[in-house]
Amino acid sequence: MLERFRAEDIHNLVYLPDTVMGRLLALAESDPFFRLTGVHREEEAVGIVTGMHLGGQRGAMLVQNTGLGNSLNALGSLALAYRIPFPLVISLRGELGEFNPGQLHMGRAVTGCLDALGIQHFTLRYEHEVEVVLEGALKTCYTAQEPLAILISAQLTGWKDEQ
Amino acid sequence: MISRRQGTEAAVELAGRLPIIGSVGNTTFDLFAVAEDRPENFYLWNSMGMASSVGLGLALARPDLRVVILDGDGALLMNLGSLCTAMMAGVRNIVHVVWDNGGWEITGAQPAGTTYGVDLAAIARGAGFRHTATVDDMRAFRSAFADAMGADEPWFIVAHIDNSGAPKTRPTKTLTAIRDRFASAIAS
Repeated sequence: MLERFRAEDIHNLVYLPDTVMGRLLALAESDPFFRLTGVHREEEAVGIVTGMHLGGQRGAMLVQNTGLGNSLNALGSLALAYRIPFPLVISLRGELGEFNPGQLHMGRAVTGCLDALGIQHFTLRYEHEVEVVLEGALKTCYTAQEPLAILISAQLTGWKDEQ
Repeated sequence: MISRRQGTEAAVELAGRLPIIGSVGNTTFDLFAVAEDRPENFYLWNSMGMASSVGLGLALARPDLRVVILDGDGALLMNLGSLCTAMMAGVRNIVHVVWDNGGWEITGAQPAGTTYGVDLAAIARGAGFRHTATVDDMRAFRSAFADAMGADEPWFIVAHIDNSGAPKTRPTKTLTAIRDRFASAIAS
């Protein structure tokens, strides 16, 4: 994933961590190409990536699906309305292997929320498809000049064995 | 008390050609009324609370520019965490001005927490801003804003304003035109 970001000159990773994203962030942190900017609520990331875009830099937003819920108005009224392109990378909870009942409903709502906003999305489920899907998705994102979502399934990342 | 219109005029004058992010509603309407032809203005038409985040992102992408954020108390109260995020990001080049009229003027001046003692400058200090000011008249505002623009650390200014309303003029509703004009104007 990081190689595809680099190839598209996506220098900024704006994130609120979860376990899945933590692994990606740890790799990015040791790579001087990437600048990591943490936020305290995911909606901020939409604004920050927008500001970076206005300033001539590309960024990606990395959040858990719960963070999609916290970002909906900014996605609609800022990123979509002003047509700011960036990948919105969402790790999926509440899908396969979920142990936390508090994750289920927002998890089920992810694609519905994205569809309602008209945000195109692709889901990564198998390791062998990550590179090609990401490469194509990023190209489409910048062609469309709009945010595009890349969903990371637990099928790819695994899940906790907690009951 | 300061009128937001006069405060905006002073901010525009002292900002020169540096970028100004206008928060949704009367803040952006006054910015447009004062300097509609100024391409370094970014007008938010919605996204309440996002001015501080957009300003932070721009400031991180363009450390060579001092970025002015014109915010409202109601808007900032929706995104107080952005003050903490700015400190965590280690940004140096933001001047964050909050027009504080104690509530939501545009919807009928309903009182927000700022009417009941919420001190946004104290919150900014708590987040880690070393330079904050709270001002009640134009002279103090001009002085604090000039200091803020000349500094190389983040500044946070609360300006107490009256509820004297905003003009009827509006920025373009073609949002990509706002985006493109602003981005070209500040392009290095």
